[in-house]
Amino acid sequence: MPQGKGGAEVRLEGIGKRYGKVAAVKPLDLVIAGGTLVTLLGPSGCGKTTLLRMIAGLEVPSEGRISIGGRDVTRASAGERDVSLVFQSYALFPHMTVAENVAYGLVSSGMGARAARERAMAALASVGLEGLGERLPSELSGGQQQRVAVARALVLEPAVLLFDEPLSNLDARLRRRMRDEIRELQQRLGVTVVYVTHDQSEALAVSDRIVVMRNAEIAQAGTPAELYEFPADVFVAGFMGEANILPARIAAIDGAFATVEIGPTTIRLPHRGLPQGAASLAIRPEAVRIGAAGHGLPGQVRRAAYMGAVMEYTIDTAIGPVFAVSPDVGHPLAAGAEVGLALADRGVVLVRP
Amino acid sequence: MRRLAAIALAVATLSAGPAAGQGALNLYCSGPVEWCQEMATGFQAATGTQVAMTQKSTGEVLAQIRAEAANPRGDVWWTGQADAHLVAAEQGLTEPFRPAALDDLEPWARDLWTASGGRTVGMAGLVVGIGYNTELLAKKKLPPPACWDDLLRPAYRGEIQMSNPHSSGTAYTILTILVQIKGEDAAFRFLQGMHANVNSYPRSGIAPTRAVARGETAISLGFVQGFAAETKAGFPVATAAPCEGTTLAVDAMSIVKGARNRAQARRFYDWALTPEAQALTAKAGQLHLPANRKAPPPPGTPDLSQARLVPQDLARFGRSAERNRLLARWDEEIGRLPR
Amino acid sequence: MQLWWWVALAGAVLLPWHMQQDGLRAGSLLALFQDDPEAASAAAQAVRHGRFWFWPVLAALAIGAPAALLPGLGRERRGGILVAAGTIGILAVVAQGFAIGIRGWTAPWLEALFGPIEDRQFGIGIGGAVALVGFLFQVTDGLARQGAFKGDRFTAGAVGLLAGSILVFTFWPMATILSQAFGPTAEHGPLLAFAERVADRKVWGLACVTSARSCGVAWNTLVLAVSTATVATALGLAFALIATRTSFPARRAMRLLTVLPIITPPFVIGLGLILIFGRSGVVNQMVEALTGAQLGRWIYGAQGVWLAQVFSFTPTAFLVLIGVVEGISPTMEEASRTLRASPMRTFRTVSLPLMRPGLANAWLVVFVESLADFGNPIVLGGSFGVLSTEIFFAVVGAQADFGRAAMLALVLLGFALAAFFLQRAVLGRRSYVSMSGKGDGGLPATLPRPVAIAAFSIAVPWAILTAIVYAMALAGAFVKVWGRDWTPTLDHFARAFAITTAPDGGLILSGLAWNSLGTTVTLAAIAAPITAALGMLASWVLSRQRFAGRFALEFALMLTFAVPGTVIGVAYILTYNIPPLEITGTGIILVACFVFRNMPVGVRSGMAAMSQLDRSLDEASATLRASTFRTLRRVVMPLLKPAILTALVYSFVRAMTTVSAVIFLVSARHEMATVFIINRVINGDYGISIAYSAALIVLMVAAIGLIQLLVGSRRLGRRAAAPVAIPAGGRV
Repeated sequence: MPQGKGGAEVRLEGIGKRYGKVAAVKPLDLVIAGGTLVTLLGPSGCGKTTLLRMIAGLEVPSEGRISIGGRDVTRASAGERDVSLVFQSYALFPHMTVAENVAYGLVSSGMGARAARERAMAALASVGLEGLGERLPSELSGGQQQRVAVARALVLEPAVLLFDEPLSNLDARLRRRMRDEIRELQQRLGVTVVYVTHDQSEALAVSDRIVVMRNAEIAQAGTPAELYEFPADVFVAGFMGEANILPARIAAIDGAFATVEIGPTTIRLPHRGLPQGAASLAIRPEAVRIGAAGHGLPGQVRRAAYMGAVMEYTIDTAIGPVFAVSPDVGHPLAAGAEVGLALADRGVVLVRP
Repeated sequence: MRRLAAIALAVATLSAGPAAGQGALNLYCSGPVEWCQEMATGFQAATGTQVAMTQKSTGEVLAQIRAEAANPRGDVWWTGQADAHLVAAEQGLTEPFRPAALDDLEPWARDLWTASGGRTVGMAGLVVGIGYNTELLAKKKLPPPACWDDLLRPAYRGEIQMSNPHSSGTAYTILTILVQIKGEDAAFRFLQGMHANVNSYPRSGIAPTRAVARGETAISLGFVQGFAAETKAGFPVATAAPCEGTTLAVDAMSIVKGARNRAQARRFYDWALTPEAQALTAKAGQLHLPANRKAPPPPGTPDLSQARLVPQDLARFGRSAERNRLLARWDEEIGRLPR
Repeated sequence: MQLWWWVALAGAVLLPWHMQQDGLRAGSLLALFQDDPEAASAAAQAVRHGRFWFWPVLAALAIGAPAALLPGLGRERRGGILVAAGTIGILAVVAQGFAIGIRGWTAPWLEALFGPIEDRQFGIGIGGAVALVGFLFQVTDGLARQGAFKGDRFTAGAVGLLAGSILVFTFWPMATILSQAFGPTAEHGPLLAFAERVADRKVWGLACVTSARSCGVAWNTLVLAVSTATVATALGLAFALIATRTSFPARRAMRLLTVLPIITPPFVIGLGLILIFGRSGVVNQMVEALTGAQLGRWIYGAQGVWLAQVFSFTPTAFLVLIGVVEGISPTMEEASRTLRASPMRTFRTVSLPLMRPGLANAWLVVFVESLADFGNPIVLGGSFGVLSTEIFFAVVGAQADFGRAAMLALVLLGFALAAFFLQRAVLGRRSYVSMSGKGDGGLPATLPRPVAIAAFSIAVPWAILTAIVYAMALAGAFVKVWGRDWTPTLDHFARAFAITTAPDGGLILSGLAWNSLGTTVTLAAIAAPITAALGMLASWVLSRQRFAGRFALEFALMLTFAVPGTVIGVAYILTYNIPPLEITGTGIILVACFVFRNMPVGVRSGMAAMSQLDRSLDEASATLRASTFRTLRRVVMPLLKPAILTALVYSFVRAMTTVSAVIFLVSARHEMATVFIINRVINGDYGISIAYSAALIVLMVAAIGLIQLLVGSRRLGRRAAAPVAIPAGGRV
């Protein structure tokens, strides 16, 4: 992993936050390597934003230690940390011009007004907003406001840049473009980025590592591929993209592998530490191979949908309905067709129930 | 820097407390402003003493002196009805002093000094009386009242106003003079009888006088001089000193106990009773009778030669216990009556 | 290093500790080498004049010295030292202040403990105050360094400042006066005396239900307040509907009504009503001339007070309601209309319920105003007594009974608080939010016909009547003898505001009113910015910070609003007339009274505005390296300009029109305009008092304009309607 010029390591040790009796974040350890982009992913209320705000210094942890770039900042205020935060709402100051907004942090840090202004203009140019410095935020479009928010955070050249669901107020097309820009910016500057989102495709697209959170604790952390292909449990499998969760039985364990019975068929998979007996199997829709009836698991197409790039099928089988996608748009199956299902090598994994 | 200077200036102005030092006097005044002003400037002119004068109603000054008892701010309390000064004397809020002109004073002014153990002295007087609106009475074809007992006439139903003795010193004085001339039980029977004619007992002592002037009520109980002042201001008010006898409500003055400027306070006390100072009453447009016999009554004073003036029994009615007993009885027998 | 330690040091060593009799002069500020102990600093008094009770204060400084002088100290350790030193310092200052008064030891047990002393001391002055402030902020700084308040020293200081000042200027005087309710009487000990006072028949009697006798003042007050609040709210609603939902041509002029009640000096409405409806008033005379019937004195008593209060407080209700009616999202009404509801049904089932919190709020405000109203009952009450007048006369009347006044004040306070909690309980958990951050494109629905007709037929005559009452009242300034001789004249103004030329050519302000006018404007101008600043700080702390005791602080801040002025005035004089804080007779006491009495409005409007400000704006500023103070100054305050304006205007104007609280606090040097006016009214000198009132009204309108100009308006861009910051709803 390349260590960028400004990227600092963020280290959380036993960090937890409770409001009264309710734990918003249960004590957890997490190390975010310098210069990487790490996403905190999870459903609403899982504690990911609280965790981010503790890194930013907007919440004081109830326990544990936070260090940034080797410096203990647990009790330091937000302004004393070398971090910047891009808010979900952007939090642009509505009574200041765009240039004033961007220069705000520089002036706060003690830079002269003139120099700050020049830097602000340069930062605006770098996000493609030349000439809009004198506008008020309310006179910009949503995407432009988003860029101003990023420019305002970046101009301080922080060691760690934090994003709190930065794209949730944009439309789908703009969201895709902005996320690429953010990733490109991060790679160019080598800055450490912690990125909160509840959108798994966004997380997959931008992250070096993803931390999936559930119920105030970490469900699983890893690279996008690890999480997608080897989800630790049913929750992660379901949250990271589509997955068919099917009941299965581990018949025998043999070294790293297990013999798994699904309905009438048997396959061999890494057992991942699971014991013999009932288990769950997570199968990605694209790992379901649809063949002619008589091979593999028998099934009948209940519904077929044309999605342009792929076909989506819901197929009734003896072990329940299976969702599958097929790249073969040219020869769609009709509802009611009898098929036989096989599984690909990748995309099929045993998970903790 | 300029802002700092401004703050310093503001602090300095704000923290300026009551006047102190050799040539200063803090005067609490319960009379009309003009009168207070005349006295303040008069004393200043006569002695060169700086006078800081605060004007408030009698009850307010008493409340203030009491609240400030631990650390007096005022030096002299000038004017205000005698009974309030007697309360202050009884509670030890004022201190005794023998004014130089004591022997020249009217008996009613001297009696107060004696009754209070030298802690307060009368300096002016007002005659308790009846005032009536001549236009209203003429329109309703009612005869003017001349005696206390006239007020019981059924024809006056709902036409009389008297303030509430609980809150008004004026009304308390009226209550005591009735008790004094009629005897206590008879006085309360009279008040019960008059109750049918009373339209309200307002809380402020001056309110009935104002009301009769503006024609809000036909008859009021108050001070003869107060009614005369309304007549002078152009209102159709006439006044009578009741035939059965009436009394003087004495305006008094006292030196506040622990006064910071005691020497100046005593000097003022002596000066205020001189004929020159007493003449300022008229200059301020007031009609009070002077306490010093050597001072002439102000011009325009209503003719009181026919009035039967009974000196108020201050020794009795100035006591808190007696006052509370009478007020409780008033409450029980008058205040609770249905209207 | 540690600024506040040095401040405390300066207060204890350099500056004169006690209040200086003749005010402060620059020359006497250096008090270390003063020979007069009264003019010396605490250190000098302890060392040179043998005043041993200052040694603990100096000891506290010594304890704190390491935190200020040793640079190598750790953050938390420095904090611990500061907290200890500051706490000891505060305790030492307070203890010595209470222990030794102007007559030596203040309690016998102190004398028994320490032996007699031949010394005394007056109240603390600039030195003591500075030292106390220094110690206070040492404590808050220390707490912040130990991690409290998210480690933010500014927040800690702000909370400390607010809590400290509330403690000194609200809690202490209120406790002083309320303890009087337990003062023993001749017959009973404290508890029995209190029970006897509370159970008084004159307070709680119910005789009026069964007979023609009068009821207790508590019931009078309650019934009056409920009926005034109900009717004024209904009238206010009618005005608000006309102003926002119709195309009535004069609806802009109607907005003028909103400023009337706050700039009207006391008594004006009552006097106007007497001139119109009094026994010899215009209406009575006309009725009598036309029909021969005599209407009599009906205006005096409960009805008259009620009428005057409705006149006085309808504009207040209007002021509260207009914001609410404007705030209802038209989309809701449009939704209702598209669901086939008739205009009447829409109004009844959608618009009106959405206004419910506004209606409850308006009702509560008027209810409390009516409880505390003193001017109208005193002018029109006649025999009809309410708690506020009863308290006044309990203090100043023939009874002179502080205990009774205190008990009545407790009853009054109880009513106000009960209404406050009732409102909370009724509105409770239901959501009435109809303003979202998104721009709302719809048009407000027009009023259904029956509602419009009702609103117009109530509001228009009422508005005309209000105008007549004011006109009649103010006419008194321009005629010879008000109510009698209507010859026009400007004599009253000449008497009040004459300016003559001195022989040497200079100008002399010889009018009677100049002195009090100067004082009033000066004190109001000093008090207004302090009120606004403290109010905004308080609303920021209350809505943005979480800390233990937050609710208690909010409650204490709101307390003075519910307490009638008379109670405050007496409480202040009882509390501050004696050391340790001896500020009676100075301007400070008036300013303090204005600040802490008028702050609740600033806090309320500040908190309302703050709730519309997305919290992420503050947080963005914090992450952009801005200090908390800079965040307040550059981000929060500019966005709160409307609320700041409200607080400034309100506190300035109220400082100029308050009477009941200040009547006990004025002194020869600091006479207030309202007290001058009241004394004139009591003396029947209506001409000059009304002339003065008219001048005050003009002055206040000018001042409001000036404040508006100075504060300016906030700029939010051409599309001002659409706020940029969309409130972050589902924060995890």
